[in-house]
Amino acid sequence: MEELSDNLKAFEKKEEVVLRFIKADEVKFAHPSERVCASILDFYHIRWLYEPKTFPIEWDKKGNVVQSFTPDFYLSDLNLYIELTTMNQKLVTKKNRKVRRLKELYPDVNIKIFYQKDFKNLLIKYGFHGSEKNKN
Amino acid sequence: MVESLQGNNLSDDIERVFFTKQEIQEKVDFLGKKISCDYKGKDLLLINILKGGVVFLSNLIMSIDIGISIDFMAISSYGPSSETTGAVKLIKDLEESIEGRNILVVEDIIDTGLTLNYLTNNLKARQPASLKICTLLDKSVRRIVDMPIDYKGFDVPDVFLVGYGLDYKQKYRNLPYIGILKKEVYLDKDPMLNY
Repeated sequence: MEELSDNLKAFEKKEEVVLRFIKADEVKFAHPSERVCASILDFYHIRWLYEPKTFPIEWDKKGNVVQSFTPDFYLSDLNLYIELTTMNQKLVTKKNRKVRRLKELYPDVNIKIFYQKDFKNLLIKYGFHGSEKNKN
Repeated sequence: MVESLQGNNLSDDIERVFFTKQEIQEKVDFLGKKISCDYKGKDLLLINILKGGVVFLSNLIMSIDIGISIDFMAISSYGPSSETTGAVKLIKDLEESIEGRNILVVEDIIDTGLTLNYLTNNLKARQPASLKICTLLDKSVRRIVDMPIDYKGFDVPDVFLVGYGLDYKQKYRNLPYIGILKKEVYLDKDPMLNY
């Protein structure tokens, strides 16, 4: 337990997020849904950072980080991290586990998971419903 | 008979009724009474966000038995062309000043909170005496921007609801109840939804 606490302290001392806000079209996103998410946030004047911080969530006995987690977005004005998931259930389960661990280790970190189904429903709400687009 | 998006009667596109007309009316009456009590003797302006909230507002004001005023706002919403068209903006502003007045924003549904966050920031800058939120439905599972809701009708899960002002592609607003839209109506082949 003391070992874990030392690891966390060392991480917090080393990490410092530099706030530099850019627009969605200036970033190379790992997934198309992340670009859409960034565009929605831009549209509503919500400032975001893409993958600004990596949280160690598991260490070996020597204190080396063996597993970490990098949430997709940080919304600085809301002090909120956002993680988008894919449709792959195996990856979703893995991500859920990582988020749970993150919350245990860093209880002050505010994070929300958006599942692909939720995100798609959001896109439908915003007008990304196929028939009109498919006509073009 | 009003045609649905699939060419049938509107109700044929509904998987199941989520809130009946009577359940909604009872909730609206409850909210109306509470608002009447809380704002008794005060100047109250209800601001409605077009277009979804119109049906709720129309019924709500009939359940409020104190003197009130109403006004409307509309804002552009994010859509397929928004990445090139920039940022959210007001497309219909209020007709009168709200400085020093008690404001109650009336919404049909709050989900991400992004629209409401933009609006409340805009309204706060106009220095009202108070600013509160009333919504018929709260889909908090989708919330990005947390905000206090002062008057709430129902909590709802992340299902596609239409009726009583809520639309899909501008249809179903005139259903007298709130129902879950059948998936086959909106599941599509849009590449944006199939990555």
